[in-house]
Amino acid sequence: MVDPDELPTPPRMNKLFYHLTALLGAGALTLSSAFGELPKFNNVTVTVVGDAGQNMESLNKYADDFTKAGITIKQVGATFTGLYDKLKTDFVAGSGDYDMVIFYPSYIGDFAGNGYLEPLDDLMKKTPASVWNPKLDEVEPPYREVYCKWGGKVYALPYDGDVLELYYRKDFFEDPAEKAAFKQKYNRDLVPPATWKDWLQVAEFFTRKQGETLAGKKLERPYYGTAEYGARGFSYGWFLSRFASSGGIYFDENMDPMINTPAAVEALQNMVDSLKFCPPDVLSYGYEELKNAFLNGDVAMVVQWSDVGKKTADPQLSKVVGKVGFALVPGTEVNGSVQHRTPMPVGRVLAVPATSKNKEAAYWVAKYLSLDESPITVAANWSGQDPYRVSHFTDASHYKFSDDASRKDYLAATEANLKNGFPDLNIPGAAQYIDALDLAVNKALSGEADPKTALDGAAEDWKGITERLGADNQKKFWKEALSSYRSAGLLQ
Amino acid sequence: MLGTEEKRFARLMVTPAVGLLFLVTIAPLLFSLGVSFTNLQFGSPQPMRWSGLDNYVNLITRDTRFLSALWRTIELVVAGVLTQTVLGYVIASLLFRIRRGRTILLSAILIPSVISQVVAGWQGRMIFNASYGPLNDILARCGVKGPAWLASQQTALPTIFLTDTWQWTPFLALIILAALQSMPQDIVEAARLDGASGWSMFRFVTVPLILPVAAIGILLRGVDLFKTFDLVYILTQGGPGNSSETLTYFTYVQGFKFFNPSYASAMSFIQLILVTIAAKMFLSFVRRQRSF
Repeated sequence: MVDPDELPTPPRMNKLFYHLTALLGAGALTLSSAFGELPKFNNVTVTVVGDAGQNMESLNKYADDFTKAGITIKQVGATFTGLYDKLKTDFVAGSGDYDMVIFYPSYIGDFAGNGYLEPLDDLMKKTPASVWNPKLDEVEPPYREVYCKWGGKVYALPYDGDVLELYYRKDFFEDPAEKAAFKQKYNRDLVPPATWKDWLQVAEFFTRKQGETLAGKKLERPYYGTAEYGARGFSYGWFLSRFASSGGIYFDENMDPMINTPAAVEALQNMVDSLKFCPPDVLSYGYEELKNAFLNGDVAMVVQWSDVGKKTADPQLSKVVGKVGFALVPGTEVNGSVQHRTPMPVGRVLAVPATSKNKEAAYWVAKYLSLDESPITVAANWSGQDPYRVSHFTDASHYKFSDDASRKDYLAATEANLKNGFPDLNIPGAAQYIDALDLAVNKALSGEADPKTALDGAAEDWKGITERLGADNQKKFWKEALSSYRSAGLLQ
Repeated sequence: MLGTEEKRFARLMVTPAVGLLFLVTIAPLLFSLGVSFTNLQFGSPQPMRWSGLDNYVNLITRDTRFLSALWRTIELVVAGVLTQTVLGYVIASLLFRIRRGRTILLSAILIPSVISQVVAGWQGRMIFNASYGPLNDILARCGVKGPAWLASQQTALPTIFLTDTWQWTPFLALIILAALQSMPQDIVEAARLDGASGWSMFRFVTVPLILPVAAIGILLRGVDLFKTFDLVYILTQGGPGNSSETLTYFTYVQGFKFFNPSYASAMSFIQLILVTIAAKMFLSFVRRQRSF
């Protein structure tokens, strides 16, 4: 299984310091929960907007606590891919309809940089600390530095520590007949793919026709080696998995796009090649379809967000309970060693709009979700939230898996992927840059353009976006972003 | 004839309505027309300035994504209006011949048209799911391998067309049925006595008689299809690639994803001009048919 200490990683914390921080964090969290005080507000209504469904479910689960604190929560839901439009429309119009916003941190540069969000530093220092301190020092550095801060100030609290992860069918990978067949065909052992080249081999191996045999059973329908996020919206994340591990980055220091380098083209070609081993309708696969393909037992391995790991263990949702292995997202061999860079697309943070009429109450709701109830939320199958605090990894008691080994493997793999994390672009205009990249990826996947033409087009689009938004400002923002990636240990 | 006082009173009475119309329709329209001649981009540090026809020139001469979305939209409108009109006429003719149970049958057929486009989109998404959808399951039982409807460049736009046709053909059937029922029977009888039958009856009697009513439905469907957004948003988000991106979806992307209101406004006005020209041409065609 994954041993984080054996992995080549970007700069990271000293191990002793890391574990000490974890212990202190867990202790502090336990104490604060044990003596957790609820403030008393005077019947305040806090309007919260976010992507509807499992990512707002915690507002229902902890509704009693909010009521005790004198707060009524009013929820406004947006779609997964329509959240940015909804928030930005409100911010631009200055309507002040929302008191707390749940959003993807790639928009923090856009929202905080344009003055739409309230800085939280002063609210965080209020006393008593047990009510107001969100304990950001206990948050994993990538999420704290990249997700929550902009221009040196804290504008958001972490809520969902998204990172991608490799899930595979442990039962098939350990099946003696399958292992022998793989060895005979490829002259190497059947193990979870360490590189994207391996990925194609393993995916090819497990792709079978109806009537063929898999792990001793005759297949009643075709079986596929893998599936990808093929729909518009977030397919760029699956491209980034390949691109970043080859050393790719969005722009160079002068903000010239780097998404059409030969390494980038090769990365996208790998993703296109992978489609041969995917279900035929994979280009319509978003989060739900990709998750269900694995949970229904239709594919041998997928790269998916870390919340899917918890769902594999829920018999209500999964047909593969106890049969799943967790691992690092494959990497790319660079100068003789395998380099892993796992994208961190989406994620969620909680922030208070500058136009909110109930800033204190909204901040407290955010802090309560980000800290007090977070150990429950990130471990639960009903939520879409994933671990982001050191204590979420050290205290595994809330996670429900069929066996202890799976629980440990899941947390170890999630943490290992995070340590190799590759940040989402978070400068102003990120939504436009990402949309252009996602369209290019999708064009290549659908065969509308070859990978080079598609990425060349995206690079031109990126130059146009930079010009439209003001090249000097954008360069300044990019330098700030690079600095935050480095201080979070995500770049060297 | 109204007297001067009465005219003044009448003007006074309509002033609030005209004022309201101006505030909610004319003023925003003029405002967005003005915006379309600027470089306004939310989030840009550049100050808003007059850019003349730049946005329009860019759209028509350089923006290949806009031009391909326009072409796709025209395909969708032409295919949708023709198919739905033909199918609508067939269904209406069958219903016209039925004497008993017509109302119940008509109500059942109309169900898709009364549900929201978003619901229709989700139903379409389930029906056209290549792995678990009922359509491919039925095709498989007939020995035909169904395509990946929403996941292929070749079938994504046709799938949007099919879903729209499934939803809106009953509406046109209802309009055409009403037109058939209101045909003056003496003209029909006279044509029969004169020996008209089959194609000549349809072409020279039925079509001119039902066209004034049916044209309204056809025009509404044409304009609606030109504005197709919900189905694209729910079914494909414009993908794979941008193979199913329609003009209104691309306008939404420019306006509400890229927050580029000047460019999106210019796109909207081009659409307005095109729809107005198309509607004019269609109505003059209808007039020619009536005077046939």
